[in-house]
Amino acid sequence: MARFHPLTVTDVRRETRDAVVVTLAPRDEDRALFDFTQGQYLTLRRDFDGEELRRSYSICAGVGEGVLKVGIKRVDGGAFSTWANENLAPGDEIDAMPPMGKFFTPIEPEAEKQYLGFAGGSGITPLLSIIKTVLAREPKSKFTLVYANRQISSIMFREELEDLKNLHLGRLSVIHVLEQEGQEIDLFTGRIDAAKMQALFAHWLDASAVDTAFICGPEPMMLAIAAALRDHGLADSQIRFELFASGQPGRARTRAVSKTAVAPGTGTEATVTLDGATRSFEMARQGQTILEAALEAKMDAPYSCKAGVCSTCRCKVLEGEVEMVVNHALEDYEVRAGYVLSCQAMPLSARVVVTYDE
Amino acid sequence: MSDTMNLDDYLAQGGVLTAPGNVPARYRGELMRLMSSFVDSELAASAGFAGAINFAPGIRERIAASRITLEKADHAERVLTVMADFGTDAGRYQRQHDWSARVPRDADLGTSRQAGDMRLSVFHYPITGWADAVVMNVLQGLATGVQMTELTRVSYGPLAEVFRAIAPREQRHAELGLEGLERLVASDEGRAQVQAALAYWQPRVAATFGVAGSERYPMLRKFGLRHAPNEELLARWKTLVAEHLATSGL
Repeated sequence: MARFHPLTVTDVRRETRDAVVVTLAPRDEDRALFDFTQGQYLTLRRDFDGEELRRSYSICAGVGEGVLKVGIKRVDGGAFSTWANENLAPGDEIDAMPPMGKFFTPIEPEAEKQYLGFAGGSGITPLLSIIKTVLAREPKSKFTLVYANRQISSIMFREELEDLKNLHLGRLSVIHVLEQEGQEIDLFTGRIDAAKMQALFAHWLDASAVDTAFICGPEPMMLAIAAALRDHGLADSQIRFELFASGQPGRARTRAVSKTAVAPGTGTEATVTLDGATRSFEMARQGQTILEAALEAKMDAPYSCKAGVCSTCRCKVLEGEVEMVVNHALEDYEVRAGYVLSCQAMPLSARVVVTYDE
Repeated sequence: MSDTMNLDDYLAQGGVLTAPGNVPARYRGELMRLMSSFVDSELAASAGFAGAINFAPGIRERIAASRITLEKADHAERVLTVMADFGTDAGRYQRQHDWSARVPRDADLGTSRQAGDMRLSVFHYPITGWADAVVMNVLQGLATGVQMTELTRVSYGPLAEVFRAIAPREQRHAELGLEGLERLVASDEGRAQVQAALAYWQPRVAATFGVAGSERYPMLRKFGLRHAPNEELLARWKTLVAEHLATSGL
């Protein structure tokens, strides 16, 4: 199971008005854990007023650059990205899970491939990592990037892409599509939609030569591009997706429960056994599930869907009574045997004893 | 066209999700369920075939059964790796059940799952001999082939990729079964054993396609986790089975 490890912020560079590039360094003993593949992301976590938020940001460094960098664009109303843009400073520590994600194809140094990338806004971050890695490690391959932004000033990594073009002459082409600024060629103004894709394929892109296409951006753009790529003969296995920022669901609304409102004596004394260790704690009688209470008590209880579906969070009630809000996973006879989905189970009695070990 | 769209709409229009962080809770639940069903079925199939290795009449058959045993476990591990991205404790998960446990041969489970594991009901029945193993593998192999046309295009990208890598090897397992079937039907005794096994396994494999008009299907379809309903997949399997059995003169 992936665990969080502290990373030290070594540099924060302002990339555009509302985006920063953060350089992070793992501890020496964690270095191997943070070796990444191009196109992967880091999941960061931070406590905001007692509530843990987790957000994933793509690595924008190339493999072999020897640094870990993520690009963080401020999302309106986004607590995490705003904090990162306004408060993060060198010397700070932040917890991160080791790199994850499958937004890449294996690098083959001898291969002579044609890659096509589509990035919308901050969707450039994983693509930059892929582009840098391909250019450095697959010297016969070429990359064409179609990069959509609102306006010139909001283009992340504009200079870095120019530098890459110059460094690897003839191997990287970048087509900027700008929504709000006219360009010499009309085709490059507006949004990337089905019509724009059609025109790009008619004049600028050769779908038949493409080995792999990478798409990272907002949902409507991804749909339009994927549909156009399929229409032009690309197989699903040739199209790689990375759903980005806007794809992150908002924070799950927590049930309104005032902890202070639970009068003494009306709570439940819970005893939970996990991995052979037993802990007891007081939990709310209403508005809190056994799983939530166990997690709050710093027990690493197994859970997955938290929707009463996957049954990863199943536990057995040994004493007391609980009630499940919904149960999409357990058969009747299991329920009769005392099993509950801990993510759905609220205590009804003053005392409950449950175990995750049986 | 706006910059963003509702994830439900995105999925309904064929969108692909790519990371645990961007799947909605309900989707995640169904995805986990789909994955755990596959993992549990492959683990149970592997465990079942491990026993069949010793039923094998010759070295070739022994190698075929061993290969199936090995690769089904490998496929389970690959999908379990995707589940682990969602927080599943992979180490504990694979130890959670006795994958070789079977119900009595004459039990009737219908389409229902048993106990805490999510294996398809067919993997709860015991294999009783070599002809039985071959027939079960042929029928279930063809069923897996049909299911793979669904699994290779699930809307969770990293999982679809795993299934696309697995599909050709699963197909090979079915072919190994068909090769074994050819050798069996060459003798009258073998043919009789095959007939008996077909009668036993056909309804049980058919049951793995689930019920017609499944209540969960519309939601799975909306999520892009399914594309064809149970009854259509079942019909395709029946056609395939009929074709292959006719080829073998059965």
